[in-house]
Amino acid sequence: MTYDTAARLTEILLALSFIQQGLEHLVRFRKEQILFGVRITLSLLVIAGLGGPWPLVGLALSSLVFLQRFQGPYNGGSDRMGLLALWCLTASRLLPGLKAQEVAFGYLGAQLILSYFISGWVKVLNPDWRSGRALRDVFQFSTYPVTEDLRRWADRPWVMLAMSWAVMLFELIFPLSLFSQPSLIVALVIAASFHLANACLFGLNRFFWTWLSVYPAILWLQGRIF
Amino acid sequence: MLQAIRLLMPALIPAWNFFDVIADSPRVEFALLADPDETPQAWQVFRPPPPGQSLGAMARRLVWNPVWNETLFVVSCAERLMRQPTAHSEDEIYARIAADLVRSGTNPKDWICFRLVFVARQGEDLIRETRFQAVPRRVAEIVTR
Repeated sequence: MTYDTAARLTEILLALSFIQQGLEHLVRFRKEQILFGVRITLSLLVIAGLGGPWPLVGLALSSLVFLQRFQGPYNGGSDRMGLLALWCLTASRLLPGLKAQEVAFGYLGAQLILSYFISGWVKVLNPDWRSGRALRDVFQFSTYPVTEDLRRWADRPWVMLAMSWAVMLFELIFPLSLFSQPSLIVALVIAASFHLANACLFGLNRFFWTWLSVYPAILWLQGRIF
Repeated sequence: MLQAIRLLMPALIPAWNFFDVIADSPRVEFALLADPDETPQAWQVFRPPPPGQSLGAMARRLVWNPVWNETLFVVSCAERLMRQPTAHSEDEIYARIAADLVRSGTNPKDWICFRLVFVARQGEDLIRETRFQAVPRRVAEIVTR
């Protein structure tokens, strides 16, 4: 995948995820409707490829207004990944010279790798994760399970243990998938299934769309390095 | 602007330590009051999760999940109130509770109050502890749109 194709695909997917998020806000508070209306319009311009880099610049600048409005990200990690992708894409579109553009876009791909590896690393260091206790806690009393029925999963310690190790091992070995494109594609399919499960069980739908939008960056980075 | 840039930095240089520790989990509870001096008695959980949901609903939430995402934002505000109390976090929680009440036809002359109850594990038991209670506000004085 060429740099131009990957960057363009990433910005289209990211713009689609912004539209999905923006539409959710249009039914809420009036102040939010204005802010997210602007964001949807700019995202449509990005998808249409109109206005050169300026709709991306507009999205990046408006992200500062959102951060101010909500005093931080609205939805934690998914918003943070969206911001990272947006600012990396904007920088890659504005920087002079292909090398600098590739560095900005490559940073995004590298952060995606770290997002899996570091998540696995911090978990495996925690004895509660290694015993399955931490995942039991997530199901038993965290705010994330979308239904009360799901809390009963905490009563199956062996399932929790197996799920914990499956997640940790996948996250830790994810960087190894970079050695070939087929292995990376398999890893990304598994990762997307993991985000899909999180969306179904914990209602984290924004994670699914945001992480998916960054996959072209890592596919390009893999080809660029290996 | 400087504050917004400060808030942007953790996104540009992320920590990626998702779920490293399962922290005590806040529940937002609210009570309706006839006057601000009344002692709240009948606490209600703000947006309790449903008992179950169909596969269709689960699939729909993949593309349309505004209420749940807003509830997660309220949880973030509750956690922020514990870490670094600000009027913003309190305002945001009040706005969401009041908006739901107004939609359900609550008398805007009523007062509301919310509290944060944290659920934590102690050994094999779950314990609940109230760690914050807001000063009551009149529903009519809260921006709900």
